[in-house]
Amino acid sequence: MSNFRTFILGLVATFGLPWLLLVVVPVIKYQGLAPAAYDKDKDGVEGFYPPAPINGQGQLVYIREGCAQCHTQMIRPTQLALDGWRKGWGQDQEARPAAPVRSNTLRDYLGEKYAPLGFIRSGPDLANYGWRAPERGVIHQKLYAPRSIHDWSNMPAFKSLYIVRKAQGPASSKALQLTGKDAPAEGDEVVPTPEAEALVDYLLSLKKDYPIPGVSAEVAAAAAAPAKK
Amino acid sequence: MQTTPSSADQDLQADNLRRAAIDKSVKGPVLFLFLNGAFWLMASTILGVLAAVKLFSPSFLGDCPVLQFGRLQPTHLNALVYGWGIQAGLGVMLWIMARRSGQELKSGKSLLYVAGVFWNIALTLGLLSILMGGSTSMQWLEMPRWVWPILLASFLVFAWPMVIMFGRAFRPEGFMVSTWYILGACFWFPWIFITANVCLHCLPGLGALGAGINAWYVHGLILLFFAPVAIGSAYYFIPKITGQPIASAELSKLGFWALAVLAGWTGMQTYMGGPLPAWMPSIGALTGTLLLIPVGVVGLNHHLTTLGKHSLVASSPTLRFTFLGSLFYPVTGIVLALLSNYSTGVTLQFTHATYGFQIVAVYGFFSMCVFGAIYYIVPRLAGCEWLSVRLIRNHFWFSTYGIATIVVTSLVAGVQQGGDLNHPEMWDQDFMQLSLNARPYMIARALAWCLITWSNIWFLIHLMLMVAGLGRRSSAPTLLHSAHDDTPHAAHA
Repeated sequence: MSNFRTFILGLVATFGLPWLLLVVVPVIKYQGLAPAAYDKDKDGVEGFYPPAPINGQGQLVYIREGCAQCHTQMIRPTQLALDGWRKGWGQDQEARPAAPVRSNTLRDYLGEKYAPLGFIRSGPDLANYGWRAPERGVIHQKLYAPRSIHDWSNMPAFKSLYIVRKAQGPASSKALQLTGKDAPAEGDEVVPTPEAEALVDYLLSLKKDYPIPGVSAEVAAAAAAPAKK
Repeated sequence: MQTTPSSADQDLQADNLRRAAIDKSVKGPVLFLFLNGAFWLMASTILGVLAAVKLFSPSFLGDCPVLQFGRLQPTHLNALVYGWGIQAGLGVMLWIMARRSGQELKSGKSLLYVAGVFWNIALTLGLLSILMGGSTSMQWLEMPRWVWPILLASFLVFAWPMVIMFGRAFRPEGFMVSTWYILGACFWFPWIFITANVCLHCLPGLGALGAGINAWYVHGLILLFFAPVAIGSAYYFIPKITGQPIASAELSKLGFWALAVLAGWTGMQTYMGGPLPAWMPSIGALTGTLLLIPVGVVGLNHHLTTLGKHSLVASSPTLRFTFLGSLFYPVTGIVLALLSNYSTGVTLQFTHATYGFQIVAVYGFFSMCVFGAIYYIVPRLAGCEWLSVRLIRNHFWFSTYGIATIVVTSLVAGVQQGGDLNHPEMWDQDFMQLSLNARPYMIARALAWCLITWSNIWFLIHLMLMVAGLGRRSSAPTLLHSAHDDTPHAAHA
């Protein structure tokens, strides 16, 4: 029986160590992670980092529909990959930005119950989608009929997030501007459900490249420069 | 055995009776697990076909929300992991543990049935919830949060008698590497499962750390549940069929403890370059690569044990599946190392290669070993032999080609996709090229899942006939080749 005990102890020791150091201790330390204050003199901005939370209601729809199966939300540093130099993947929408988009930190996801970092990039990264997003109507169109925007798109059409109904009275301001085969029948209109609105709110709130307090001034200045949107 | 020739017959008979008693004691629960597992396997492969089609033709079968890729893919993988993998794994574990420790399942059989039924009900409801829009988007943990306590309790009900058997039979002089692995799996799975679920479902929210723990869980499940069960099964059946002892006890111990030491650290390299503190993915990358050591050691040991008996691979279904499965263990290790290290890993990160890794681990390696075990175990429990050589051969070849296709295309697609993502000339392009380049691979994947579905339909039917007791009444096992040397028959006695 003592050998049995030794064996079990061996199992506990070999697995317990990584369990403790890789999961338990980081989880406990994470509980103490709080927003960091900006220094007006050094960072040029006031308030706390991260400055704006994501839209939690919309994230529930994002998670429910499994968007994370094809979209990541994580920019890798330039020494590893070219994510940071891809056009429009950060705040700066210029063709030749002064600095690459920064990679993410734990605080970028502060307040999210579970950060859907994603698994496979079948679609583009969405970490900073809020900056490059087109107007709401176009996002809705993209969700309702992706192939009406790009005929090669492999994104599913989330038709269930929209209601097709009889157009009565003046056309709804929310109605999607659809043409071609995706357009509803004559006299009908397609309007987003509250869930679709929440999802779009969430997508617009994805801005995970706010300047980090205390990073070098030039990077902060480049990122803090007034964005187009 | 120190017996005189005259009493040898009696001993053999007593031995056979003892084995038959053990088999009888675990018959019901083990067959229950195999049959349900095979059903879920078929469900999973059909979902795999659909999910792969959805990747190149998103409006296939209409735009019904239930069948969107974002819901299908997790359902497909959860059915594979919890429906087939863990369930069939438990069946193999229970049988090997009972046989290897020479213990009958004394009591609590009805409790095992209850646990099995609860496992399947919880799983069915959980998977339906994913399809209906209850997914949590945590990989392999997509089922709603109320499912995991039921799964955990059911697992523990099965694990407990195995621990008891192991404890009763633990002899320092007897070398029992297969039961080591199986006990390890009994022990590691609940630990990983509780940790991941408590962290992700019960704690107030871990942000990006949650994603890291999720990746750690997926790797833990592969390396500390699926791998041990498959290796344990291979360590049991290869010597059994070839009639040769395990080549090296030292290598076996090294392979076991190296896996135990390394596997818990790996996983977070999935998010290398991400928001996690840099040491976490780094240590994952390090151990993910170092795992080549236990993988190589076990592979070498299996190779040495099989050496000189390769003709049996052609004739014995059990050995053929186990042989292929243990051949996939080094492949799994190499794919993991490619995904883990920072030079090839960043190319393959966030690409279809990660899916290839999961499939080669769960299907190519684990399932093939478990198929081998099932082909050995079921005739002994059902009291009849497999009906058709052709069906077994059909199962083997369609699975083999299907899995090989999925793994190869996923890896090549991963290289292609990673190259497209990191190509300097594509910095201002949209995803058109990437999307179009992936398409042929996804078509190949769909076809490969079709092949596997075909093999699994026949496997399920074959298994159902066996469980119903409609197999061949014969004292000779069903062999793939009528090889006329006596060794396989002796081994199958």
